[in-house]
Amino acid sequence: MEYAIEISGLTKKFGDFIAVDHLDLKVYKGEIFGLLGPNGAGKTTTIRMLCGLMAPTEGSIKILGYKIPEERNEAIRKIGYMAQRFSLYEDLTVYENMEFYGKLYGLKGSLLRERILKLLDFLELSEFKDRLAGKLSGGMKQRLALGVALIHNPSLLILDEPTAGVDPSLRRAFWNYFRNLNKEGTTILVTTHYMDEAENCDRIGLMSKGKLIAIGSPRELKRKAFGGDVIELKIKGDINSLPLKILETRKENDITIVRAVLNDISKELPNIFNLLDSHNIKLISVEPINISLEEVFIKLLGEIP
Amino acid sequence: MSVFVVVIKELKQFRRDPRSLIMIAMIPLIVMILFGMGYGGEKGKVNIGIVNLDKEALSWTLIDSIMKVKDLNIKAYGNSIEEGRKLIEDGKVSAVIIIPNGFTYGIIKNSSVQLLVIVDESIPTISSMIKSSILYVTYKFQEELSLRAQGNFIEIIYNSVYGPTVTNIEAFTPLVMGIVLQLVPTTLISIAICREKEKGTFEQLIMSPISKFDIIFGKFIAFFIATIANMLITLLVAIYVFNVSIKGSIIDAMLISTLFLIGSLGLGILISVLSRNQLQANQAAIFVFIPALLFSGTFVPIDMLSYFAKIIANLTPMYYFTSAFRDIMIRGVSIWDVSWQTLVLIIYAVLMLTIALKTLKLRVD
Ligand SMILES: Nc1ncnc2c1ncn2[C@@H]1O[C@H](COP(=O)(O)OP(=O)(O)OP(=O)(O)O)[C@@H](O)[C@H]1O
Ligand SMILES: [Mg+2]
Repeated sequence: MEYAIEISGLTKKFGDFIAVDHLDLKVYKGEIFGLLGPNGAGKTTTIRMLCGLMAPTEGSIKILGYKIPEERNEAIRKIGYMAQRFSLYEDLTVYENMEFYGKLYGLKGSLLRERILKLLDFLELSEFKDRLAGKLSGGMKQRLALGVALIHNPSLLILDEPTAGVDPSLRRAFWNYFRNLNKEGTTILVTTHYMDEAENCDRIGLMSKGKLIAIGSPRELKRKAFGGDVIELKIKGDINSLPLKILETRKENDITIVRAVLNDISKELPNIFNLLDSHNIKLISVEPINISLEEVFIKLLGEIP
Repeated sequence: MSVFVVVIKELKQFRRDPRSLIMIAMIPLIVMILFGMGYGGEKGKVNIGIVNLDKEALSWTLIDSIMKVKDLNIKAYGNSIEEGRKLIEDGKVSAVIIIPNGFTYGIIKNSSVQLLVIVDESIPTISSMIKSSILYVTYKFQEELSLRAQGNFIEIIYNSVYGPTVTNIEAFTPLVMGIVLQLVPTTLISIAICREKEKGTFEQLIMSPISKFDIIFGKFIAFFIATIANMLITLLVAIYVFNVSIKGSIIDAMLISTLFLIGSLGLGILISVLSRNQLQANQAAIFVFIPALLFSGTFVPIDMLSYFAKIIANLTPMYYFTSAFRDIMIRGVSIWDVSWQTLVLIIYAVLMLTIALKTLKLRVD
């Protein structure tokens, strides 16, 4: 069984409104999969259906080989879940929250204690263990929520905007945790609005208006958005007559700066030199452009009707 | 067992919630003291009942005059002599005045008429006070009528019985118990589940391997432990502060109270399952309390209610509780003698918890 998550035809209607629209998605075991999309795209709704927290209007779901909702009881023992909204008990302490959930998963005695202390240490929460959860700062709350999601050593982590409202250094720390967990074999499904975080994902699914409009690794998505790899050429001369897919040109003094798309940069770059040479255009420099995912998404989202 | 994990968690949260703790400790005291001040002691008005078999003009005039007597309070009306007797036997009133059929006609025809007065002689000061009050009323009544109906004569026939000797506060104790045991547990537990939904904690909770049973019974047991204190506080205040005597076994009184407490918690948890938020839950808890209070038979005897109100009365578990508790407390019967009420309360508790269990959905929607 190679998939951690398999969903097909997943649909959720709220009255007439279609929040999730015939979604097909497969997440491999062992990958970090990022679900991205603008507000209201349907990410949370999708995740809630995956977890059996909401009944789908249509479609089928399999998590770690278990059918949802039929075999939900088996599945949730292996899922660690962090909701978009903080959902732990504000009138219990950090330790009590973790203890409560640990016990529900059947951990007890010194085993439970050690597990909690280890997680608190890992999440740098040890000194706050007796503080009421309601009195924690936003970032601490998120760390506690992650701690609870990890209490039972889940093999699949489902995290809905775990880094919302978290400062940049803590965000980096979170992604370090995720990568470490991922190295140990944990599959992670995560949603975020931060594009720099999305770069860390093995694969990304881009959602808009309940539909998955693009899926692939960050590099694949960039190539998909622009039809290939983007390079930037600085030249002297007129380039418009050349058979090149040009995105934009701009002039600085007598130098023309051109952005062009190549199907495959490693194969076509030598041809470019020849092409320019044969047209007597002087090449000053050429470099591959690392396009931000932000640009990619704006382009992909702009293309849909 | 996950259910005990939930119990411990709930109790921890409870300990940190001063509002609930105050409610548990204070409401029984407040309700008891209010009733104690309002109705307690030997002083104040004496409750009497009226059975009007005449139903003609002059009988109403007489009743009007009785109402004006400052020491008497007409607490109940009965439709027959039997009902009148029962009012005394149940300790609801200390005397019943029976206006016979033909009372008005007799006075108009200038023939002598009779009034039958059944008096509870168990507290001599009260019975003699009642007798002198009635004598005074009838004298005044005759005086007012003297122009129209000269020389007629109302004869008062006393019929002495020995009632259960209840002080006013004792008469109200079953109602106080009912109020405390419905209002406090139902209101407290009514937010138990919908608060989790409102605050979002429900979403995390149901992602753990927890069953509906664990959630419902975990909360139920925790609130049971917390509110059993209510029952004990109310009973102890009644017995030691207001000198209320329980004629039957105190264990039976506690058993029937516990049973009603369980039903109230069941009702509260059902409200919690059905409510969207805490405000709605609190309102629902108060809303179901009102008919229970009005129709439980303590303010107005059930027999006097309209047909429709009687049906409602028979649907309120509070009615069954107060009537069973009154019998144990005042008539000194055992819980086996009120097995019908006990059975109703058991069915009520089981039904509430079962419906709550069936209606709870482990979903966020
Ligand atoms: N319970 C509900 N009832 C009605 N509409 C809902 C409900 N839950 C979500 N929606 C609607 O479904 C759409 C998708 O919401 P969802 O929360 O899944 O978006 P999202 O992609 O998670 O957005 P965000 O990035 O803001 O978290 C929204 O338009 C939302 O208003
Ligand atoms: Mg969301």
